[in-house]
Amino acid sequence: MDRRLAALLQETFGERLLAPVRQRYDESEIRIALKDATDTLRTLHDHPALRFEMLIDLCGVDTGEEMQVVYHLSSSKSGDWLRVIVSGLDRSAPRIASATFMWPGAEWMEREAYDMFGIIFEGNRDLRRIYMPDDYRSHPLRKDFYLADDASRSPAAGVRNMERVGTPADATAATVLRKSPGV
Amino acid sequence: MTQQMRPSLDDPRVAIPADSTWYEPAPSPQTERQAEFLTLREGEMFVNMGPQHPSTHGVLRVIIKVNGEKVVDLDPVLGYLHRGVEKLCENADYHQAICYTDPLEYVSSLFCEAAPVAAFEKLMDVDVPRRAQYIRVLTMELNRIASHTLFQGWMALDLGGITPILWAFIERDEIVDMLAALTGQKLLYNYYRIGGVNGDLNHEFMSRLGTWMSRAAAQIDSNLALINENEIFVRRTRGLGVLDAKTALKMGVTGPNLRASGVPFDLRRDRPYLVYPELEFDVPTRDEGDSLARYLVRMDEIKQSIRIIDQVLHEMPDGPVMAKLPRLLRPRPGRAFGAVEGPRGVYGTYAISDGTDQPFRMRIHDPSFVHLQLVGPLTKGNLIADTMAVMASLDPVMGGVDK
Repeated sequence: MDRRLAALLQETFGERLLAPVRQRYDESEIRIALKDATDTLRTLHDHPALRFEMLIDLCGVDTGEEMQVVYHLSSSKSGDWLRVIVSGLDRSAPRIASATFMWPGAEWMEREAYDMFGIIFEGNRDLRRIYMPDDYRSHPLRKDFYLADDASRSPAAGVRNMERVGTPADATAATVLRKSPGV
Repeated sequence: MTQQMRPSLDDPRVAIPADSTWYEPAPSPQTERQAEFLTLREGEMFVNMGPQHPSTHGVLRVIIKVNGEKVVDLDPVLGYLHRGVEKLCENADYHQAICYTDPLEYVSSLFCEAAPVAAFEKLMDVDVPRRAQYIRVLTMELNRIASHTLFQGWMALDLGGITPILWAFIERDEIVDMLAALTGQKLLYNYYRIGGVNGDLNHEFMSRLGTWMSRAAAQIDSNLALINENEIFVRRTRGLGVLDAKTALKMGVTGPNLRASGVPFDLRRDRPYLVYPELEFDVPTRDEGDSLARYLVRMDEIKQSIRIIDQVLHEMPDGPVMAKLPRLLRPRPGRAFGAVEGPRGVYGTYAISDGTDQPFRMRIHDPSFVHLQLVGPLTKGNLIADTMAVMASLDPVMGGVDK
């Protein structure tokens, strides 16, 4: 992994970074705000010294306090991998610009994030459910979605969902089971 | 007590024409793209393929819009195998999560295990003993050969040739039995552990591997001769479903499908993990980007895998196969992405830890999911039968696509 990448990213994005660039093992990580998402992705893709042209993965994350969209990019120039965390999506109505203008292959991954978290990707031409049936109403990977049968939960965890009687599996309750990891 | 008569199917009153009798893809389009898809022009009609169709490699439904025999557009419908693995993993501890990932892709399950294990090991700063790393490389390459030989048989089967799959299964069964002797399971191995592997190589595995290696190259060459020089096969796949390098990169294609378009991207070499940097192997590529190239790249990879296994067997050191770890794993809060180069592309797992013994979020990235998007763009304008040829050459496995 290139240690100079951290300095380059710091220099290119400066104020936009919400936290210093983190590097661990072979991954680098930057964290940006929602309003800068599209510009940052475009710069990462087009900047002659960066050239992050491959979208390896796109996924949503529900931290219990906010929604995040996480991009994993690979540089065709240096081979480095970068994780871009777009944080600050409103949990009650998460919206973000689609990345399909640059990577058409993101379409299904965005559909999956919409299906699982309810994140609306503005500009995605085909944003509908991909795994769950069309008439399904909730978003299963949200932290307020309880599993009906939670026997798989290990004894060391604090909350036993099994004991929460009367909570239907697709209820959107206000409480969140696990606290945000803060990372 | 009066027994109620069961209505006869001949009774005209029973056969009530209901709305559900008629096939309508979706009464109200939800998106711009779906509305475009559902609009039929002069001479066009919908054909439903699947969900249970032998060429869909699992349970996939494809709605095809055709004009005569030509495919105009198509819309894959996923979710028939959706098991919610990500949610299950979030509610299981780190050891349990690994066995949930096994059945994702039942053809090459060792890679599905390897990706989360790699991510968890990064989260926990575990050093894997060198012998365990060699064993992982050995078993993964065996699994890659098993997957590619099965692909070879499948591809021919989807094009109408029955014989090759019978030959392909000979090789594949031998590898599957070999791995069963090692891991105790035929298909869902559950062999990798955080910090190593479940058990050291045993005598039965080694003797089977030795016997197989002595004839593997010749056997696989004779299987290849069955197809590679078959005129029908070659003429049907050459120039079919051409994917150029630029589109492939934009679509997020990885693995052999990308290498068949001329981009030499291979994680084993470009982002090395385990002991791959110490091994010598080539990354085969082709420039054509058509179905035949995708097939040939995989066949070349089998030879490279045999080469890797040969080196691993010569260089494998002695030593422990598991790192010393506590039973209950509680990594520090953090994020990690583990990725391995599988037979279909990049298998990735993005894990977030919140300091408890369960992953806070576990994202599973499967290459088949991305590749299945290409079936639409690549088959437009071709015949319906070529849809299967293109789909077979992309080699998706629905267990991984549907998670």
